[in-house]
Amino acid sequence: MKRDVQSVVLVLIGAALLRISFGAEIYLRYVKAGLRPALIAAGAAVLLLGFAGVVRDGILRKHEAAGHDDHEHDHGHDHEHDHEHAHAHAEGHEDGHGSDDAHEAAPDDRASDHGHDHSKGPRIAWLLCLPVFALFLIAPPALGSYTAARSDNTVAKPAAKTVDAGFPALPPGDPLDMTLGDFGVRAVWDTADTLKGRNVRMIGFVTPGKNGTWYVTRLVISCCAADAVARKVEVRDAPAPPADTWVQVTGTWFKNGETGSETATPAMTATGVEKVATPKDPYE
Amino acid sequence: MNGMSEQTMPVRGTPASPPAEVTRPRRGASPRASGGGARWRPGQLELFVVGLLLLIVGQSWIAGQLDAPAVQAWSTVFVAISVQALPFLVLGTVISAAITAFVPASLFSKVLPRNPALAVPIAGAAGAVLPGCECASVPVAGGLMARGVAPAAALAFLLSAPAINPIVLTATAVAFPGRPEMVLARFAASLATSVLMGWLWVRFGKAEWLRIPRRFTEAGSGSRWEDFRTGMQHDFLHAGGFLVIGAITAATLNVTVPKDIINAVSGHWWFSILALAFLAVILAVCSEADAFVAASLSGFSPTAKLAFMVVGPMVDVKLIALQSGTFGKGFAARFSSATFVTAVVTSIAVGWWLL
Repeated sequence: MKRDVQSVVLVLIGAALLRISFGAEIYLRYVKAGLRPALIAAGAAVLLLGFAGVVRDGILRKHEAAGHDDHEHDHGHDHEHDHEHAHAHAEGHEDGHGSDDAHEAAPDDRASDHGHDHSKGPRIAWLLCLPVFALFLIAPPALGSYTAARSDNTVAKPAAKTVDAGFPALPPGDPLDMTLGDFGVRAVWDTADTLKGRNVRMIGFVTPGKNGTWYVTRLVISCCAADAVARKVEVRDAPAPPADTWVQVTGTWFKNGETGSETATPAMTATGVEKVATPKDPYE
Repeated sequence: MNGMSEQTMPVRGTPASPPAEVTRPRRGASPRASGGGARWRPGQLELFVVGLLLLIVGQSWIAGQLDAPAVQAWSTVFVAISVQALPFLVLGTVISAAITAFVPASLFSKVLPRNPALAVPIAGAAGAVLPGCECASVPVAGGLMARGVAPAAALAFLLSAPAINPIVLTATAVAFPGRPEMVLARFAASLATSVLMGWLWVRFGKAEWLRIPRRFTEAGSGSRWEDFRTGMQHDFLHAGGFLVIGAITAATLNVTVPKDIINAVSGHWWFSILALAFLAVILAVCSEADAFVAASLSGFSPTAKLAFMVVGPMVDVKLIALQSGTFGKGFAARFSSATFVTAVVTSIAVGWWLL
């Protein structure tokens, strides 16, 4: 990769990082909110680096720079003709540039076959264009039902202390807004059945299950979308909306299996399902 | 750093040129292909811009092609890994470029003892103070050798620097919240592996296996800030390119490999360790980001994850390529396979002890 292209690529990378960190906050589709300051700093640094490259290496004044650089390069560059060249340079400086550049063009082109290779940066750097184009042109959506359907429902067993001492009482509220994580933990591990009879409301996207069943779903990421795991709650007594629709489900806990054991799965009987807008942070 | 100085000083690549010849070019060479001749030829920049315009024009068509849910999930995971790793990569290259530009490498040869066997553990521990990822440590190690540091010590440094520096250990702590023993185990196993490999080289290494790069990090722009800029630019682009390969591989595995196959492997303790060690070689994730990948490999034992994080910064496909380029193919083959075995054995021992 040539130096001028390197600078442009650096500017694009920096701009891409800054773009997803501001405005529509696209970065939340890929990473945790906590990474934002790092993204902004890195974006600014790379942008600066790119601009410094544009200024120092020069894109627009490539031609005159090439003519000028020749003088300084040939000293160390053109080993075979070093003495003649040094001489030619001395003359060139005294006589002015005009004719000398033409005179030098031929041997210099040949000699610079060597320098030419080195004026390229790493070829592997071209690959950096891929994520930049992906961010600018496509900005892939947050992971959804495809990933959730392939992921087991993960309801981690809470710390033994919580299970023994019992879950704290649920706060008041009708309907009570809950995360799928809270609901799932209580639905599976709460032997005191604190969810019983409570009218709860949760937001998630639709993941179709087998035989017409469906789940209201959120994915959870611990660092970036590569480590996403699913939290699913089966929704009963409501027709399945299309996959990946964001919905707000209101209903009551449906006891599905023996609570306090691995056999229990989170489920609810829905009294209302309404479409909602995609939340800013799609992950829970 | 290698390529960087190659750019600023084209003369360096030729052994024939005596040092006296080295003048100080003001700045990097402008591309000659489009600058020298009278006839206009489209240069790389022009082609790049044309390609960019084509992509913008074809944007909706391209987006339409990527509509399949599997492809969409792939591109999301790919972008996610890249976006997540880039800040770490930038930080690493800023620091490594600053050290290369502002800290004289002669300092290292002054503080190291003459006896290689004694220098190895010191150089290994010194890796902790040179933050950077593995891509940066290869040229630094080459520079140390070129400046007279014993190869064994430089190699111990090469292995330990990307694994036990503060940035990587911080990233590990962030990736494994509430599990400080993971950070400790990583530190211990990585340091042990690099020191062992250094001693192995002292005992069994042959000089003809290793091609010591000559005048390796001869910086030459005259301005330290200019060295810093070009060094960071080269390191970032180079490492970033390899990072993208890692992201592509990781995203492909993430989307295509059924989760139950990984789970099936994860049940078997020694097979799971080997599997993740090999995965580290193939994925070639930058050491500043690999803890996050390890943490996401749910279902694997902590020892297997440790092996992933110990092997990854020392042996992986991009490192093998970098080492072949710097020290020769024969060296890379011998050194990488020996390091792989040592790293796996050390991980098992440390994992048994600490995890």
